[in-house]
Amino acid sequence: MSLFSWRNSALPTFSRGGVHPDEHKELTENLPIEDFIPTNVYLPVSQSLGASAEPLVAKAAKVKRGDVIAKVPGGVSLHAPVSGIVKGVATGPHASLVYDTVITIQAKPSEDDPQFPEQSGWQALPVAQMLECIRDAGVVGLGGAAFPTYRKLSLPKDAKVDTLVINGSECEPYLTCDYRLMLEESEKVVLGSWLIAKIIGVANCVIGVEDNKQPAAEKLRQTIAELGLDKMDPPVKMTVVITQTRYPQGSEKQLVQSLTGRMVPKGGLPLAVGVVVQNVATAIACLDAIRNGKPVIERVLTVSGRGIQSPKNLRVPIGTSVEDIIAHCGGYAGDVVKILLGGPMMGRTIADLDVSVTKGTSGLLFLTAAETSITHYQPCISCGECVDACPMGLEPNRVSQYMEVGRPLETQQFGVKECFECGCCSYSCPSHRPLVQFMQVAKAAYRRQERKTK
Amino acid sequence: MSEAEVTSPPTLHLSSGPHIASGRTTAQIMWMVNLSLLPALLWAWAVFGWPVLAITASSILGCISAEYLACRIAKTESTVPDGSAFCSGLLLAFTLPPAIPIWMPFIGGVLAIVFTKAVFGGLGYNIFNVALVGRAMMMATFPVEMTTRWLTPALGNVDAVSSATVLAQIKLGGQEALNKILAAVPDGGHLWLDFFLGMRAGSVGEVSVLMIMLGAAFLFWKGIIKLYIPLSILVGVALMAPFSPAPTIYMLSGGIWLGAFFMATDYVTSPITPKGQIIFGLGIGLLTGIIRNWGGYPEGICYAIMLMNILTPALNDWFRPKRLTAGGAPS
Repeated sequence: MSLFSWRNSALPTFSRGGVHPDEHKELTENLPIEDFIPTNVYLPVSQSLGASAEPLVAKAAKVKRGDVIAKVPGGVSLHAPVSGIVKGVATGPHASLVYDTVITIQAKPSEDDPQFPEQSGWQALPVAQMLECIRDAGVVGLGGAAFPTYRKLSLPKDAKVDTLVINGSECEPYLTCDYRLMLEESEKVVLGSWLIAKIIGVANCVIGVEDNKQPAAEKLRQTIAELGLDKMDPPVKMTVVITQTRYPQGSEKQLVQSLTGRMVPKGGLPLAVGVVVQNVATAIACLDAIRNGKPVIERVLTVSGRGIQSPKNLRVPIGTSVEDIIAHCGGYAGDVVKILLGGPMMGRTIADLDVSVTKGTSGLLFLTAAETSITHYQPCISCGECVDACPMGLEPNRVSQYMEVGRPLETQQFGVKECFECGCCSYSCPSHRPLVQFMQVAKAAYRRQERKTK
Repeated sequence: MSEAEVTSPPTLHLSSGPHIASGRTTAQIMWMVNLSLLPALLWAWAVFGWPVLAITASSILGCISAEYLACRIAKTESTVPDGSAFCSGLLLAFTLPPAIPIWMPFIGGVLAIVFTKAVFGGLGYNIFNVALVGRAMMMATFPVEMTTRWLTPALGNVDAVSSATVLAQIKLGGQEALNKILAAVPDGGHLWLDFFLGMRAGSVGEVSVLMIMLGAAFLFWKGIIKLYIPLSILVGVALMAPFSPAPTIYMLSGGIWLGAFFMATDYVTSPITPKGQIIFGLGIGLLTGIIRNWGGYPEGICYAIMLMNILTPALNDWFRPKRLTAGGAPS
C-alpha cells in the first residue's frame, strides 16, 4: 500500500499481490518433532488427488506395518501405518470428501515389525525403478495438494526441464512442520532432492526458504556443503535461496517466479517453463521410498492455535484421529470456534473429531474467537484491497458484485478460472466479503455449464 | 470411536478459508478518515470561531438522521455506526461558507444522503460523491448564501464580513482585482503564505492547505489513500494554472487540496487500478481548470469530481489489473 509498488526488502519474491498475516509460528517453531502413536488409526482409502482407491483388507485381518491395505488401480497405494488388527472397513468421515471408506486398525506393535533399514545400491537404481518405488510407497505431495508424486515426476518425452525447485516456503501462518524437518532432517531433505533431480534428469536444484526461517536455510547450506552434491553421481548444483516472507510464496507459480524469474503460462504447469516443484516433506518421502523401501505411513504435522493446551510438531501415523491428537496435546485451551486441517489461509474446517490425518494434512489448528474472523459481510466499497492483494492479478471485487446479482457465468472476464483460492482477497477485504467463496461458486457454475454442453 | 475422552467444542464454525483477516474494517477506515479531518476543522474553528462547529454539527446531524431513517425504511441494520454518513456530513460542512445560516447544512445533509446514497442502495452503491452532491444541491437551492456568507479569518476576534473570496474577485475583476488584493496585503506579508496556512476567506475546511496536508499525510501513512489520484489532480490543475493571472494563488486556493485528497479519493466513486486513477485525477484537474478559466464558476473542483465520478465504471472497465500469467491479457 504505497504510491509505487516498492518492496521493503531486496530478497526475491513474486511480482504481484500477496499478503503478510501475523505468523504465529512462535507457538511451535522451537519445538522438536515428537512421536505419537495412538491405539487406533482410521484410514480413509482416498488419500490422493484423482481416482478413488479400493480397500484390499477385510475386518479381522492381521496387518503388518507397511502392508498395502488399499490401492488406486494402477496408481498409488495406501499402507498399514501400524501393525495390528483390522477392526472394520466401513463408511466414515473424511477431511475433504465428507465421507469415504475408512479402514480402522487397532495397533498391536511387536518386536518383529518392519523397521525399513537402508538398502544397498539405492543410489544406482535405474530411474524407472525409482519411479516404481515412489508409486508403490504411496508418495503424494505432502505440502497439502496430495497429487501422486510418481505422476508429477514421470515427465512427458518432449519435456525440457532444467531446474528442480524444492519448496521449503511454508508460507501459511502457524505451520512449522516443514521448518522442523529442514532443521532436524536436513540430510534427508538434501538427499531426497538429489534423488528427484536425478529422476527428472536436471543438474540444477534450488531450495526456496522464506526469510523467517533463516536457521533452516543455514542448516541446509551446511548440509549441502558437507554431502558434496557436486561430486555425487550425477552431480547436482544445489542452492538455497531465501525469499521474502510473503504469502502465498509456497504456491507453485509464485515460487517459480520468485526463484527463477520465469512466468508459468496461463493454465499451465511449471513444467512449461522447465521447472518441477516438490515440497521438502515430499523429498524426504521419496528418499524413504527409494533408500529404505519405506512407504508413506506417517507424517509430521503442526498442532497449533491458541485453542490447544500444548501446541506441538507431531510425527503421527497416517489415520491418527483429531480426537486422539487433542487428548495427546492436553485438550482445549479457551473457546475453540474453528478446527482446521491445514493452515489458516487455505485449510479446511471440520466439525467431526473422528476425522483423521491424511497424507496431505500439514497442520491441525484450533482457533479461538480472537484469532479467527467470524463476522457478517458488508457491501463492496471498491477500495481495491483485494485487487492489490491478488497474486494472479484478478478482480475478486467485480466477481463478488456479479455473484451478488446472480450472474456467475459472466465472471470469467475477471479471471475466475485462474483463481487458485489462496485467500489473499478475503483476508484483506475490510468489508469481510467472502470473495474466495464467490470465486468457488462461480467456478462451480462454469463446471456445471461445461458438463451440460458436453 | 476413540478411547480418549474428548468432546467437541459447543460451536464449531464451518467455512472455506481464509480463516483469518487483516483486521482492517470499513468502519475503521471511515473513522480514520473522520479523524484525519480534525486538524482542518480545528483550524477553521480557530480562525472563524464557533459558527464553524455549529454548521458542521448541523450538516453531520442532517446526514446521520437521513441515513438512520433510510435504514429504518429499508428495514436493514443501521449503518450509522460505520462512520460513512458522519464522514459525508463532515466533508459537506467543509465545503460551506462559515457564516451560512445554521439550518441550511442540515437540509443539505439530508438531501445528499437521500438522493446520492440511500436511493442507490446505501454504502458502496452510490455513483457520485455524497458530500459534493450535497454541496451542488445547496448551490442550486441557496445560491446567495452559498456565495456570500464568508468570514474574514482572525486568530482571536472574528469580524463577520460578507465579501467574495479571492478567486471570485479575480474571476470577476481579472488582473485589476488581483492588483487590488495584492496591494491590501500588509508589508512583510505574503498572499501565498496566507493561503497555505489558512488565513483567508473561504469555505470551512478548505482554507488551510497545511491542515489538509496533515490529515492526508495521516491517511497515506495508514495506507488508506494512495497518491495516484491527488497527485494527478494537482498536475492537471497546474497545467491549467498559466491561464490565470495568479498561478500560485490558483494552485493554493479553493477546494483543490480538500477535493484532491479527501473527495476524489473516495473509494466507492473512484477507479481501482493505478492507470484508471491517474486518468481520473488528470481529468478532474483539467476539468477544474476549464470550469475556472472559461466556465461560470470561480471554483471548479466540485463539478469536476462529479463529472469524473460518472466515468469511474468505464475507467474500471478500460484499465484493468495486469494478470500475472503470460498470455493472460484481460479478456
